[in-house]
Amino acid sequence: MTETGTTTTPAIEVEDLRFSYGDLEAVCGIAFTVQPGEILGFLGPNGAGKSTTIKMLTGQLTPKAGRARVLGHEVGRDNPELQARIGVCFEEKNLYLNMSALENLDFHASLYGIKDAGSMEVLRRVGLADRAKDRVSSFSKGMRQRMMISRAFINRPDVLFLDEPTDGLDPVTSAFIRKTIKEEAERGAAILLTTHDMFEADELSDRVAFINEGRIVALDTVENLKLRYGKRSVKARLRDGGGVREVHVGLAEDGASARIAELAASPELLTIHTEEATLEAIFIELTGRGLEG
Amino acid sequence: MSRPTVTRKALVAALLKKEALAYSRDTLYLFLTGLVLVMIVVLATVVPDSVEEQITLGVSPPVSELIANATDELKRLGATEQQLAELDEADLAEGDEGLDLVQFETADDLSAVVKGDLEAWRTADGGLVLRDPGSGESKPTDAERLSVSIGIAFPPTFVSDVASKQDGVEVTVFSDASVPPEIQGAMQSFVREAGYQLAGEELPVTMPDEDSIVLGQDRSGDQISLRDKLIPMLAFLILMMETFSMSSLISVEVLQRTVGALLVTPVRVADFLFAKTVFGTGLAFSQGVVVLAIVGAFTTANWSVLMVTMLLGALMFTGIAMVVGSAGKDFIGQLFYSMAYVIPLMIPAFGVLFPGSAAPWIQVLPSYPVIASLVGASVYELGWPELWTSLAYALAWVCVIYIAGLVALKRKVESL
Repeated sequence: MTETGTTTTPAIEVEDLRFSYGDLEAVCGIAFTVQPGEILGFLGPNGAGKSTTIKMLTGQLTPKAGRARVLGHEVGRDNPELQARIGVCFEEKNLYLNMSALENLDFHASLYGIKDAGSMEVLRRVGLADRAKDRVSSFSKGMRQRMMISRAFINRPDVLFLDEPTDGLDPVTSAFIRKTIKEEAERGAAILLTTHDMFEADELSDRVAFINEGRIVALDTVENLKLRYGKRSVKARLRDGGGVREVHVGLAEDGASARIAELAASPELLTIHTEEATLEAIFIELTGRGLEG
Repeated sequence: MSRPTVTRKALVAALLKKEALAYSRDTLYLFLTGLVLVMIVVLATVVPDSVEEQITLGVSPPVSELIANATDELKRLGATEQQLAELDEADLAEGDEGLDLVQFETADDLSAVVKGDLEAWRTADGGLVLRDPGSGESKPTDAERLSVSIGIAFPPTFVSDVASKQDGVEVTVFSDASVPPEIQGAMQSFVREAGYQLAGEELPVTMPDEDSIVLGQDRSGDQISLRDKLIPMLAFLILMMETFSMSSLISVEVLQRTVGALLVTPVRVADFLFAKTVFGTGLAFSQGVVVLAIVGAFTTANWSVLMVTMLLGALMFTGIAMVVGSAGKDFIGQLFYSMAYVIPLMIPAFGVLFPGSAAPWIQVLPSYPVIASLVGASVYELGWPELWTSLAYALAWVCVIYIAGLVALKRKVESL
């Protein structure tokens, strides 16, 4: 499928990218771009090809075919150059458990040649400054995830790859991490976010790509997708004696405007709102399967 | 923003610093390494550094009495006065080199001493004092206690009886349970031979002029002490410990997938493998050298050969640690997996403790040339001219094992 382009140089450019594990084709010719400051949500169920795509774009796997450029560097050829400018938050919490939070960040910064990374400041930003000298092995799941995020930020990357950054976390920690991700995008970092949490994708993403069985089946802004695949109707709830009555008005129907105005003026009206499709509903409509599968 | 550039040297230095930090936090292996080092120091202090080559043999009655009782019979059999005088003057009590003859008046005394019911003490003037440890009598002053674990009780008329070819002459060999069967057998043979000689009959075999032919280097009077024999064992023990530590560090990195986080930074797989090699080899080598220094193995003649041998050994065990670590087992799995590799490699080191020609299959083991070089340099103080073939053989094995370790770990890391 094609997407509407922009005039700025993309931070990530992918064309007909392919990868297979033996006979199993994991990524089958995907194409997309991510602009600086943009968050692209990669939505798909487990095994759809999201993590394989991230592994290729971060230099962990060499693509079998196609082309990918990150910050102008060819993936597979210029890996050291592009890896110096990216940050990766893995799905598994691969931190050095026997090292403290501060030691983890300082060590990681040293791999980019950064002598004074301001690790304490980064920890303060994710709310871990008071545990800076504690070993990561003593951290809770949420704290470890915040460590993962702070490690991905330590080199002030131009591109961030975030693989399920809030998977399995409580709502408070998830909200905190989402806020931090938005701040990074506002700083100008391009962010590729993989998730199967449609709420997270809806809240964070400027655009979303639905990936299923290694193929991108839809790619657009959240709003456009909802408009394209939503019902385009208004639902009103009215008092009806002792109960509540629902009225649906299709926006394409004849006289829809007058009907909506009439409902709005009714003294029995309790609520009125448009009926939008959820991202999950759109995904199911497009692929015939859910996001958790 | 302008970004700092990072050199490969700086990357490897950062990885080494991380390895050192991770190693220092691995309390179990740190404790085990410390324990092994302490054990080695204790062993080196306690185990004797000399070999007792003297065999103490009890005999009854005293040799002079045996000869005196036989004088008349020997004269009757035709012995000349000169022969008898020579026999009289022979200071048999001094014994041969390596044989300490302790002469008892009666067979009962000899039996009681061998059994441990009586103690035998030799005074400064050469006299023998017997003491009953249960009687409460004080120990003799200015006397040395003798350890008599084997003895021969001859009948008082043994010489004359045998010389006159009497039948049924009975000689008793006493020995305690700790005496090896070979020594007991040798004593019985000694008595038989003495009987043949006295009876004027030759043994039905001929012996060369030499008492025995020693195959290989004759170390009579210069035996290898148990401490010396232990040196290669101890050095190998510390290398083995470091194999466990290193494989644990690698295994944890594989299991927790921290290596994945490294490889999305400017770190390349080659940097990771190089850092592991330097750290693992450096750790094993430095500790092995400390052990050799503690047991006093270094001399001006052998230090360079020993250092090279230890370096090869350390690199070999780093290769093994890579193979074991790349399997990514948990603690118990990794311990058993390590054992499967390390125990066969320890066999040549045990071979040094129990000398003899090594079986051909032992000589094929990769650790054999390393042990052979260690033994050659530390025990026999051999140098480069004698050991270079062994070292070349060791180098070939090290290359094979290290490359196998590199390939195994590289494949594992790239598959994560």
